[in-house]
Amino acid sequence: MSSILNILLAGVFHAATLFLVTAGLQLIFGVQRILNLACGSIYALGAYVGITLTTWALANGLPPYLFPLVLLVAGLVSGLIGIPLERLIRSVYRRPEAFQLLLTFSLILIFQDVIWFFWGAEPQQLSNLTMTYGTISVMGVTMPTYNIMLIAVAVLFAIGLNYYLNATRSGKILRATAENHETGAAMAIDVKRVYVWVFTLGTTLGTLGGALVIPTTAATLQMGVELVVEAFAVIVLGGLGSMKGAIVGALIVGVIRAIALFVYPEVEVLAIYAIVLAVLIWKPSGLYGKVEA
Amino acid sequence: MQREKMLLRAVNISRHYGDFRALEHVDLSLSTGEFVSVVGPNGAGKSTLVNVLTGLHQPTTGRVYFRGDDIAGVGAVELATCGLARAFQLANVFLDLTVRQTIAVSASSYLKLRRSAFVNLMGHGEVDGIVRRVAQAFELTPWLDVKARALPHGRRKLLDVASAFALHPKVILLDEPTAGVSTADKHGVMETLLSASKTLGVEAIVLVEHDMDLVSRYSTRIIAMQAGKKIADLPRDEFFQNEEVVSIVIGKGAANVSCA
Amino acid sequence: MNTSITTIDNSVKSPVQSRKGIGGKIVLISFIVAFALAPQVIGHYYITLLIPFFAYAITLLGFNLLFGYGGLLSFGHALFVAVGAYAAATLALNTGMVSFELMLCAAVGAALIIATPIAILASRYTGIFFGMLTLAFGMLFYTFLNKFYDITGGDGGLMLPRPTLLGVNFESANNFEFLAGPFYYYCLVLVLLLGWIMWRVVHSPYGLHLMASRDNAVKATYLGVKVREVRAIAFIVSALYGAIGGVILGVNTGLADPELAYWVNSGYLVFMTVLGGYHEFIGPVIGALVFILLQDELSTVTQHWRFFLGVVLAVLVIALPGGISGGFRSAIHRVRTKGAR
Repeated sequence: MSSILNILLAGVFHAATLFLVTAGLQLIFGVQRILNLACGSIYALGAYVGITLTTWALANGLPPYLFPLVLLVAGLVSGLIGIPLERLIRSVYRRPEAFQLLLTFSLILIFQDVIWFFWGAEPQQLSNLTMTYGTISVMGVTMPTYNIMLIAVAVLFAIGLNYYLNATRSGKILRATAENHETGAAMAIDVKRVYVWVFTLGTTLGTLGGALVIPTTAATLQMGVELVVEAFAVIVLGGLGSMKGAIVGALIVGVIRAIALFVYPEVEVLAIYAIVLAVLIWKPSGLYGKVEA
Repeated sequence: MQREKMLLRAVNISRHYGDFRALEHVDLSLSTGEFVSVVGPNGAGKSTLVNVLTGLHQPTTGRVYFRGDDIAGVGAVELATCGLARAFQLANVFLDLTVRQTIAVSASSYLKLRRSAFVNLMGHGEVDGIVRRVAQAFELTPWLDVKARALPHGRRKLLDVASAFALHPKVILLDEPTAGVSTADKHGVMETLLSASKTLGVEAIVLVEHDMDLVSRYSTRIIAMQAGKKIADLPRDEFFQNEEVVSIVIGKGAANVSCA
Repeated sequence: MNTSITTIDNSVKSPVQSRKGIGGKIVLISFIVAFALAPQVIGHYYITLLIPFFAYAITLLGFNLLFGYGGLLSFGHALFVAVGAYAAATLALNTGMVSFELMLCAAVGAALIIATPIAILASRYTGIFFGMLTLAFGMLFYTFLNKFYDITGGDGGLMLPRPTLLGVNFESANNFEFLAGPFYYYCLVLVLLLGWIMWRVVHSPYGLHLMASRDNAVKATYLGVKVREVRAIAFIVSALYGAIGGVILGVNTGLADPELAYWVNSGYLVFMTVLGGYHEFIGPVIGALVFILLQDELSTVTQHWRFFLGVVLAVLVIALPGGISGGFRSAIHRVRTKGAR
């Protein structure tokens, strides 16, 4: 029983990290119909900035238990890169999808070497910070408290995003623009401003995800490219552009991964992608997406 | 009576979208040599009728027969190669293909060449011949090597129609082929269509039109639609003598009225 | 009928017609001569770059059938390159046969078997969904290659022994002599042969139907084009070409490497195609050459060659979407219109 709980918790934890990344992806796609292949690179940026800022802060006297605040700041600050990025991507809004994909692909190449240049090729870590809050034991399962906090943060994000999109005026404007760009413009919504805001918000979600997760893992040069593999599985399962899909997709991927790691680690990604393909064949728009063949 | 072949026959077709009845119990027949115009106010179901007749939409009830065969589920591709062609209301072309290439698409379908990957299309005698003839019939010859995206709207419409004609169909359905064409040109377009039909062996034409002037000039028979129902199906002269029908179709204050 | 005179814009004349002219033939002949003489003239180092160039030229000729002529972006095409290399290696490993011709057959056969179901499935979709589907298949295959050690050699890959060419064994030659000599010329002939075949395909009724389905699928249906079938065939043919390219790459390195299937490499394939220009037949071939040379030069100068390649791609996408061959065409057009005045 405790091993099942273990698996579930591990799966939910992984799902939480995936959700933080893919929420931004889904938001951007939902409103601007752009699939940002560089989502992983942005996540990586948040992670690296998080490490640097936290290490600096700790060295300058920050009490260790405050480190999540620093990570939060790191995530928010590095998310500002979304503003110049949106400016760049703006030039291909009206172009065929192939070009948009290629532009975001070029960002992957650029980001990878920029990170290499500033941070070097060695994997980086924040040593042992997760233990700052100790561990929690529930029903025989032990987990670092920080991991539980992260799950809580992801849940908060989900709730917050849901509230934002459905109950606030700004969020409703976003959804209106997502439904129909022409209608959005006709309603005197400044579509340009919306796009800048959405893209930056989506980017920030990614950098926040990277920063907050980094205490539990290591930052490597490949993480940006590798993350796309799982992030992609999440959005395909959940459906492009759907926030609910991001949650469900992340949960599915997270739990499958946890199960695979427990039973037969070798097939981890294979199992995920077998499910992805099954869903794609049965319902190519994903569980919550809309079909656009 | 048996000299005329029944080419297209719709029996009691209806098309419902949920509660909305786009077509209701429409019967229609088309024989060799006929030029049938379908008229009616906007929303009467004319385009839906054409869509059902050409296999784009399945009728909710009823059947459509082309040359004796039930075309339910046959699909546009089969129909195109079996002699039933249509042109669209909005000029529907291939923006990056030249006029020559566009017509050649139909020509190669007609000649059943479509799977051959090794036939050298450049300089293929039969295809070339069809391309030249059709282009000439539609006065598109100077534009043979121009891409469709460089053509003005009127010529794009002609190309759309020409490419349908290049299939050498037995029956062709035209959805407002002169929409967007200036009044001075409309007759020219119709004359072109008719002479192209003769050259290419088209046996019957169905035309959806708003311009009653054209309708009265060229049709042999007129079908009037209103709110999804067929309210008249009369030879041309009888149609224009029927005041009640004419007033429904033309309505009050409409332009382009010229009684034959 | 009022035929208003519209000036015929020469820039939108069909390139096919102009290619028929002398210009195209000169380009082709100079290409053949240049590459035939290259091993005598160019240094050893650059010859070793030309083998991958041949491989990618073939792969991209196939890829562009799907992308440029068919309008379908596959973001998982590296999958078939890997299939080719692995098919050849598996053949050699399991049967001991090292005939290059048999390797090519194995590659084509494997690609056919794998591509057909994918093609049937993917041909229902276009745009993002098509890209996603192919990306997913690519990622799946990559993990399969990496994980199933017993079949695929895991992340170490499979060894590809030196093949015999047309039955002739070149054991006595060292690696470089083999690659820069008989293998080089064999690949050059392959490129020309497969290029000729693709040229015929593109200029056939099938090619026309493919382009029609790219430009306007609905209209194409009404003109008798079987859109789904046409797309599926394009996918399969491009897969076969990719697999052949993969065999060449595998022989070149002596290894069937799982990295061949990594999704980033699929991205590079698209990069090369757009770099060279996907509107022109020869574009992707130019793109392959320029990309390989560019990457090589950059990596000798800096570790961070990816950054510069990324910048090149970004600039390309934003400012020069027609690629190199597109740039040439506009330049030629500008010269022509100037001369006409």
